[in-house]
Amino acid sequence: MAESSEPAILEDYLLAEDAPLLEEMAEEDEEIDLYNEMTFGLDRDSMEEEVAKAPAPPDKGPELSLVGENEAAVVTEVTVEEEEAEYKATVQPGLGAEEEEPMLEEMEEAGEEGEAEPGAPRDDFADMEEETGVDEREEEEEEEEEEEEEGEEEEQHEEDNEEQNDLGDPAVMRAVHSKPTLESLDSAVLDSRIGSTWGEFEGDDLMAADSGAWTSSPSSILSHHMLERGYLGSPGLKRSDFRMMSPKSFPQRFMRQQSPMMPRSMGSPRPYTPPRRASPLFTPNQSSGYVSPTPFRPMSRNISTPTQPLAMHFGPMSPSLEPPLFFSPPAGCQLKFSVPSHMTQLHPQHQRILNQRQQRGQVQSISPKKAWSLKADPYSGLMTRKEKDWVIKVQMMQLQSENPHLDDYYYQAYYHRLERKQAEEELLGGRNKQEPPKLVTPYIQKMEIYDSVVRIAGSLGQVAMSTCYSPRRAIDAVHHALQEEAAGNQRLRALHRIEKMFLQLLEVEETQRKMNLLPEEQHPRFCEKKSHEVGRIYQALKIRACDSEEEAEDEFLQVLCVRKGKKLTARLLPHLAREQAEEILVTVTRHLPFLMRKDALDESLPVLYGPLSEMVGRMTFSELIEVLQELTRPLAGSTELPLTMTFKNQFGISLLYALLSHGERLLSSDMPLEPHSGDFEKWTDTVFLVARELSQVPKTALVEPLFLPSNLLSLFCRYLDKQTIHRLEAKMECSPLPSEAAMPC
Amino acid sequence: MNYMPGTASLIQDIDKKHLVLLRDGRTLIGYLRSIDQFANLVLHQTVERIHVGKKYGDIPRGIFVVRGENVVLLGEIDLEKESDTPLQQVSIEEILEEQRVEQQAKQESEKLKVQALKERGLSIPRADTLDEY
Repeated sequence: MAESSEPAILEDYLLAEDAPLLEEMAEEDEEIDLYNEMTFGLDRDSMEEEVAKAPAPPDKGPELSLVGENEAAVVTEVTVEEEEAEYKATVQPGLGAEEEEPMLEEMEEAGEEGEAEPGAPRDDFADMEEETGVDEREEEEEEEEEEEEEGEEEEQHEEDNEEQNDLGDPAVMRAVHSKPTLESLDSAVLDSRIGSTWGEFEGDDLMAADSGAWTSSPSSILSHHMLERGYLGSPGLKRSDFRMMSPKSFPQRFMRQQSPMMPRSMGSPRPYTPPRRASPLFTPNQSSGYVSPTPFRPMSRNISTPTQPLAMHFGPMSPSLEPPLFFSPPAGCQLKFSVPSHMTQLHPQHQRILNQRQQRGQVQSISPKKAWSLKADPYSGLMTRKEKDWVIKVQMMQLQSENPHLDDYYYQAYYHRLERKQAEEELLGGRNKQEPPKLVTPYIQKMEIYDSVVRIAGSLGQVAMSTCYSPRRAIDAVHHALQEEAAGNQRLRALHRIEKMFLQLLEVEETQRKMNLLPEEQHPRFCEKKSHEVGRIYQALKIRACDSEEEAEDEFLQVLCVRKGKKLTARLLPHLAREQAEEILVTVTRHLPFLMRKDALDESLPVLYGPLSEMVGRMTFSELIEVLQELTRPLAGSTELPLTMTFKNQFGISLLYALLSHGERLLSSDMPLEPHSGDFEKWTDTVFLVARELSQVPKTALVEPLFLPSNLLSLFCRYLDKQTIHRLEAKMECSPLPSEAAMPC
Repeated sequence: MNYMPGTASLIQDIDKKHLVLLRDGRTLIGYLRSIDQFANLVLHQTVERIHVGKKYGDIPRGIFVVRGENVVLLGEIDLEKESDTPLQQVSIEEILEEQRVEQQAKQESEKLKVQALKERGLSIPRADTLDEY
């Protein structure tokens, strides 16, 4: 039967070194052995082919010697099969049987080649477990299994040639599922040849020498199950040799020994440590495509045999490869791990883990979830403290910034808030001073970088610098920036200005924030810088007096018509000097109807309310009167008062109330007001006017203010009669005054 | 020990069982053993879980090294709650079969869609077919 190579992935399992998995793999191996036996045992024809291919081996000499050099080469017994005979022998380093082994391997290789099996990595490696106590027998058994497994994999690829074994064959006790190959499960893998291939071995001599030693019996398969892998046997075994063995019992490429076999007879099998995967020692399968993957894992001398092979469901193996059933090891199966021989090359951690396990003795099953703890986990702590620290160090380096408050604004703001809340709780609640952990990112000082090379954008290369040694006339670089002022669109211009000013404002706020964090002595410098910047922005706002006709063209008002402009002004106000802020308030009040009209869609005027009301709270009486005058002056061209319009606008009415409330506060306080002449009259006039308008406007038209000051009614009480007050009270939905008797009205 | 407060770091997740979703749609479950600054992961005792409908199947994979850029998300598995799932575990064979069936059904419906569009004179280039070039 044509044998195609079946890549195996069991090496992966080897690396896992997980006890349960190992157990499972061991079980699988047994099954595979059985399976191989079954499937290959029936095919008589292939045996003839094998005989024919026997001469092929001779050229495998060179590879063989290479193999021989490897430590702990496991040579598995070759079991007789129709096509090929392979056998493995366990190779123990330093033992005298070295010569025999290479020969054995040769034979195996030859046998393999004869099968024309291209590049089938053998999946011996699942076995490569740390078993304890290698016996020859055990090794053989392992080899058996390996052979079975490999054979099985090949089997998987052999499409129609192989008949499925029916369990009628008395030699077969059990069917075996093979492991899924990597190729079958992952379509991205083209060739998962694990380990290098052995190339070809010459097996003639070896076979001849050992032919006599071969005995095998199917029953031995069952009794001896090995966990270690072996190698592809050499195909060079002569047919005659196999005749000795029970014909049906050996699968074609039987990778494992099934029973007391050659290695024993050889007298000194030794464990084989396969070369590393990437070893270039072995050439890939050559002519006849015989490939045997070197076993990846070291075979230990101490191999325990599982007590009982698992019963497996035997399913049809198609080339499309349905994945085999994955079975879990029986509860009773115990695996003991062996100490790898000194010849095996293990990764230090691998070694450590093996030792750990050995010490522990018992294989740990996956404990119930609740009992699982990190202490029980033998693999915990693979990542050492140093490594963790290193990763953290790298991550912290990535967080470096000159200005964490800018770059990492959200975390900083969050942390401040958290701290504040904690401080509050501390004051209220217990004295538990739990400081929330803070991530202190490395703060690096910005280095003074001086541009040694001046580069002008858009130029080619360096600018010609004139030095005292080479004085040159410097080219006057003309800034051909877009003259946006020339562009007609007013709104665009306003937007552009807003953006520029906003950036300046952000810088101002940044300076402010930095100032707050720094010690006191550096404040003046920052203050100066800040006020300078603020002044620049104020100038840029271009606030000036304008008539009502020019409102649309006034640049400041244009800014205020944009939502972002309002926001800008609102954020700027706290930083402005008093006179400047007042100027803004006056302007806003003067053009309130205009602004209110423009704001009909946006409704973003309320952003100004906060800063303006604060401003109002600081005003003097005279200033207040001035501002109120703006509201009470009738609009040009009509008798309507801005006052009335404010009632319909939330911002307007709120501003009005704020102004009135402040006036009332001033009046009722004991502070000297220092009014100008005529102020009081204007004040009373305003109050009366407001009251009148309020009583006239229907309640439904009255908009609810953002904030209703509590002292408004008392203000009205001062001047108005009870009835009016009642009506106003109802209209304004003020809370009723505590006692009317207390009212002076 | 809180290594980096205020950040999302995988250091705390070491040696714990995780579910990792990869960009190609695979779901891996394994113990997170090691990480690095790119969030490359080393998963131990990894199992690839295939979900089809209410069923799932596990394929044991051993050790996985996942390149960080291929991870969509990952999360710790509560070992106590791990078994509280309405899903039913089936054999690998079965789940792969189910997956195949599902894929087939999807392909067929896709084919019908494309056919219908073609009849109407529309052709929507499918992303996967573009990849062939």
